Amino acid sequence: MAGVFDVAPAIPLLPLASFFVVLFVGHLAPDWLPRKGAIPGIVALAGSLLLSLWTVATVATGQYANQRLYTWVAGQGTFSLHFGMLLDPLSSLMLVIVSLVALLVFVHSLGYMNDQGETGLPRYYAGLSLFAFSMLSFTLADNLLMAFAFFELVGLCSWWLIGHWFREDGPPSAAKKAFLVTRFGDYFFLVGTVAVLVTFGTATFAGDGSFPAIAEAVLAGNATVPTFGFAPQTWFTIIGLLVLGGVIGKSAQFPLHTWLPDAMQGPTPVSALIHAATMVAAGVYLVARMYGFYALSPTALGVIALVGGVTALLAATMALVKREIKQVLAYSTISQYGYIMLGLGAGGYVAAVFHLTTHAFFKALLFLGAGSVIIAMHHNENMWDMGGLKERMPVTYWTFLAGSLALAGIFPFAGFWSKDEVLYDALVHGMHSPLLLLGYLFGLVAVFFTGFYTFRMVLLTFHGEPRSETARDPHPVRWNIKLPLVVLGTLATVGGLLNLTLVSDVLGVDVSYLHGWLANGVGEATGHHYATVLTSVAGYQTGSLTPLIPAAVSLALALGGALLAWFLYGVPEPTEHTARLGAIQRLLVQNYFQDEYQVWLAERVVQPLARLADTFDQGVIDGVVNGVSAVSLFAGSRVRRLQSGVVVSYAALLTVGLVVLLVAFGLYGGWF
Amino acid sequence: MIPPTYYLLLAAVVFSIGVFGILTRRNALIFLMAVELMLNAANINLIAFSQFYGNLTGQTFALFTMALAAAEVAVGIGIILVLFRNFTGVDVTEAATMRW
Repeated sequence: MAGVFDVAPAIPLLPLASFFVVLFVGHLAPDWLPRKGAIPGIVALAGSLLLSLWTVATVATGQYANQRLYTWVAGQGTFSLHFGMLLDPLSSLMLVIVSLVALLVFVHSLGYMNDQGETGLPRYYAGLSLFAFSMLSFTLADNLLMAFAFFELVGLCSWWLIGHWFREDGPPSAAKKAFLVTRFGDYFFLVGTVAVLVTFGTATFAGDGSFPAIAEAVLAGNATVPTFGFAPQTWFTIIGLLVLGGVIGKSAQFPLHTWLPDAMQGPTPVSALIHAATMVAAGVYLVARMYGFYALSPTALGVIALVGGVTALLAATMALVKREIKQVLAYSTISQYGYIMLGLGAGGYVAAVFHLTTHAFFKALLFLGAGSVIIAMHHNENMWDMGGLKERMPVTYWTFLAGSLALAGIFPFAGFWSKDEVLYDALVHGMHSPLLLLGYLFGLVAVFFTGFYTFRMVLLTFHGEPRSETARDPHPVRWNIKLPLVVLGTLATVGGLLNLTLVSDVLGVDVSYLHGWLANGVGEATGHHYATVLTSVAGYQTGSLTPLIPAAVSLALALGGALLAWFLYGVPEPTEHTARLGAIQRLLVQNYFQDEYQVWLAERVVQPLARLADTFDQGVIDGVVNGVSAVSLFAGSRVRRLQSGVVVSYAALLTVGLVVLLVAFGLYGGWF
Repeated sequence: MIPPTYYLLLAAVVFSIGVFGILTRRNALIFLMAVELMLNAANINLIAFSQFYGNLTGQTFALFTMALAAAEVAVGIGIILVLFRNFTGVDVTEAATMRW
């Protein structure tokens, strides 16, 4: 019987086919392309979504796939490099998220791009299709090297799509920045990948002989691997931190988050798909994918948790003062991924995956809602020119509100359940680890700011009196904008039902479905096993605490932030209250001078170094090469004068040479 | 039977005449003849040793050399023809325009 695992490679290959169709037909015969390329993409992703759902249904019956599909380097007496497919609860869940959001973004693009008469649409849809292919392949990847390859490919698509409007000044520069900053992190990832291959001789994620399994055996004393003079645990921590470099770059964590706000120069559907729901999730997904490895190293986990906590707090404060709607959302994305990292670092594997899921839905919703608002406002993104859109675009308003409530973490929306579980995990493990407790405190403070900036955004955009002519008479939006909003709005509202851990703990009924879902998997890549390893190897201890109190605290903080925003901005004519912060506001508007110090680093430290290297290269290396050639040329120009062109003198030289040789041989051989 | 020393002396004389011709004359046709003399001096040596050792290989090689010399003359005459057309003469020292 042909099960879903035989056709699962089609999940990424369908968008790849769509990519080629859109690219070549769009180039050769653009008139033949229905809706300028949207239709092939929608068809392909609908197919991917159906296959993903089938995969989930199959995985739910306890059948998993972990197989090699194509070996592209067959090692002789050493490891081989291959592409493979790992379908387990984690990857099948991610497949559904990616294909669903991508499908909705294609539909939304019909309204955002086609209806607005944008040009270059085949290029746009080809990029989106290629992105969907890369992201789905990354999700399926069964080994670190394949994951790295597709990690790079999604980065390329990100560059492609941010720079879609390449004739303007901003987008190409933002695209380059996104590419370079993430590449900086990816460099460490590449080194980490090589280190994994060299150390373990394999890079597969799950099953017998996978590198987390080998690492665990090494720590238990049942196996040995080359660790280059380090203690095994230290070496594994180093590898984990190297791979984490790629994660920090891609998931826009502090201090490599600076590219994400600039990436908002791209089309809004792209921001929704790539820079909110999926590509940015690739980083944290990678940590979740190799969680069996990270769980062995309390140091790496501590770093993950702290980076996550710091990012969550800093990004939330920066979001407080932004004027453009997409900028607020960009910083909230960074902040929310900080929460996910905090959850992973704090040992809350399920909580983090849960927050990843709900965040994908509500943040894609918010971006698509922002896209709807931006169309209505004729591409003016400044919230201070909006206001009063509530009556004029009710569908957008209510769905956006659902997404905002989820983002702020207000009961009973999806974000409440997931964020609360992340914070709860950080707290219960933090009771025995000051580092995690610090991360928890950062996250908790960020909850208040999240509530504030979210509702500042909602109130400025939709409430009060219209503050500009376009806000009084907004451009209408069609079904293709509203349909994705309604679908995602529903998910953002009820997504919490996936995993009501709080209810389970309080009422004693088992409704934490995601815990059950992720508890199983291929080999030891299971949530159940991770929990064991966290306790036995990383030494995590769980404090006893009723989940109600932390939940109440974070809900109270979120409501407090929301009410403060309501109090300040819920008036017909709001003013810019954050201006009262003075120097702090300037600091926040300038994003803590992150860009400035990174540019300073690049200009004052890296550039002189590069110049020095260039001088060395031009002077010494090129000098030697040029010197050799100059000497040869000079010698040649002198020696060539031997060539008189007179054949008689050549003959004479030959004869003289022969005679000299004969005489020499004669003297040497003793003829005379 | 004549001892091989005589043949070798004859060959050395013929060869020296050839070398002398090349070193002293400027006429390309004389050049060609001088080269023929040198080749035939080698032929004499081949045949002399062939007869001395009673081995026919040397004579076979002499035949090959003759065929080679004929081919060489064919090419040489062609070169001389072109030389004459370009320099209106067959003086080999004139043709020194493509040296560097």
